[in-house]
Amino acid sequence: MKLVDKFTLWFIAITFLVTPITSYFFCYTLVKKIDSTETARLSEVNATTASRLGKGLPANVPGKGGATDVQRLTTALPQQRTQVRKTDVYNGGVNGMESLLTVDSYVTINGGNYRISSYNYIPSSRQVISTILGTITWKLLLIVLCVVITARLVSQRILSSLRQTMKLIQGFNVKRKVQFPKTGTREFRELNAFLQKMTDKAVDEYAAVKEFSENASHELQTPLAILRNKLELLSETNIGEEQAALLGDMQNAIEKLTKINRSLTLLARMENNEYAVSENIKFCRVVKDVLSAYEDRIELKNLSVRSDFEKNVLLKIHPVLADMLINNLLGNAVRHNVQDGHIDISLTQRKLEIRNTGLPPEMPTHELFQRFKKSNQCSESVGLGLSIVKQICEVCGFYISYHYSDQLHTVTVQFRSQPREAVRAVPGVSLVNSE
Amino acid sequence: MKVLAVEDSKEIGSSIRGFLVREGYICELAYSFYEAREKLALFTYDCILLDIMLPDGSGLELLKFIKTEKIQSGILIISAKDALDDKIDGLDAGADDYITKPFHLPELHARLRAIYRRKKLAGNNIITFNEITLNTDTLEATVNDVLLDITRKEFDLLLYLVINKNRVLSRQSIATHLWGDYTDNLANFDFVYQHIKNLRKKISAANGADYIDTVYGLGYKFNSSKV
Repeated sequence: MKLVDKFTLWFIAITFLVTPITSYFFCYTLVKKIDSTETARLSEVNATTASRLGKGLPANVPGKGGATDVQRLTTALPQQRTQVRKTDVYNGGVNGMESLLTVDSYVTINGGNYRISSYNYIPSSRQVISTILGTITWKLLLIVLCVVITARLVSQRILSSLRQTMKLIQGFNVKRKVQFPKTGTREFRELNAFLQKMTDKAVDEYAAVKEFSENASHELQTPLAILRNKLELLSETNIGEEQAALLGDMQNAIEKLTKINRSLTLLARMENNEYAVSENIKFCRVVKDVLSAYEDRIELKNLSVRSDFEKNVLLKIHPVLADMLINNLLGNAVRHNVQDGHIDISLTQRKLEIRNTGLPPEMPTHELFQRFKKSNQCSESVGLGLSIVKQICEVCGFYISYHYSDQLHTVTVQFRSQPREAVRAVPGVSLVNSE
Repeated sequence: MKVLAVEDSKEIGSSIRGFLVREGYICELAYSFYEAREKLALFTYDCILLDIMLPDGSGLELLKFIKTEKIQSGILIISAKDALDDKIDGLDAGADDYITKPFHLPELHARLRAIYRRKKLAGNNIITFNEITLNTDTLEATVNDVLLDITRKEFDLLLYLVINKNRVLSRQSIATHLWGDYTDNLANFDFVYQHIKNLRKKISAANGADYIDTVYGLGYKFNSSKV
């Protein structure tokens, strides 16, 4: 439910709750007021009549309307000198039910006891209530209508700042700072100030982490070079088998460290968009080149390769990344293959698919693309190859997927830069299984 | 061969010198931009190893100086940043080759020798060791004048071994030499072993001596003292 609808509903509910209560009080006080005013007027008429009688003037007070009765009493005056009676009478005709208000005043004039009665017709409570109910209904309808309409119009203005903020937050990227708009509403001002602080901090921290990893990997290169070179020099001195084995292990560790360092630098570079390109390269050419670079290793493992390349596959990808992508994928296909295995590479305008034989994966396949995940934790590879592949695909807008079936590992890279219709239009193109 | 190594890290500099001196080269070191410029102005070198990042200037500046002074040395860039742009900048500015840190000393040596062959030996492309002859132009190898039927990789490997004869070549360094920096070298050790095995087989089939020794735990060595 939208914020404005919530507000509207609450407002309407409150109006519906409050209106009957106020209407009841309104009716009650109105009727009371009418009664008391009329009583006071009639009492005054009685008093005037009494004083006129005392002076010997005619009983009727001129210009006061209503009617006055004067009656001489033989009995003593009652305790209550003024009595008010109110009776509902049906007058018929237009007015319907009316109330008759009578005020009796008992007075003694020139030694005689008199009862002076004045009466008048006033609107009955029922008449008052029915009139008020009608008005209230109209009023309620009008209020609801106004609330619904104005809430929508006004919320556009008032909530525009919130909407802007939400838009900014949705498009927020840790690589870039954002400026939240100024607003007159206090809550939004506080929200924006908070978000501003939070996003600025996120951007700063990200920049710091990035800078650190860049510096770290760069600063590591020299010590790594020193270590590697000194070990090489050491291995040429007169050493025994035991020392040679120790040196060998150290060289392996340095090799691994070098590789990790290089891969992390590469990942950071890609995250920095240092490999943005604007022109197309012949992807088919790259695939062929890399494949020929693997020829010797394919031969040594006695793998059979079936390749099916479409001509003129042009893709927007940095040549270094293209090379690295194919290198990693083909490297995996060769390395994780079995002796006398098989590799099947197909490249079309839409996708690259590499199928290879190999042992079944030992871990959930969706984890394969995470950093430092290896299907065999003690294997000698570093475990960054596929996360580099994934990063390259992200940078280039490709979609990569992996699945294992019928003892075949299949990696598919969909070049999403192609129009989607083209993919759909071709029957038999198996869309990627998301594992 | 006379080499000037411009490298601000004293440890790396001494490693390079240690390695090259054993080859019988003369190797001088310069730790800074100004030191290097002074030496270049006073002496001539066959090859210059050039670090891009120097404390008081850029190696690329030095490269410009070398070109404007028309110094005819071969230039091998040592780059700590393996950003592609640096490599291309260096090559565009007239360097002959580049190598990224951390490098293997035998690899550095092999590249240095390749530059030297191209630049100083007027493109002399024949390398001979006893009965083995390698032609780096045609990529042909002969043993006792018998042409070996070897693949491109086997040729590269043999050349690497011959250039770095009597050196212990780690499997890592061989893998890097054959397949480059970006492949997973540890995973390629099996392939190194198989290549070495095939090469030995082919040389001995041509009645060549078995020069290639296995150094336990470390790698391989082209042992020139075997006859």
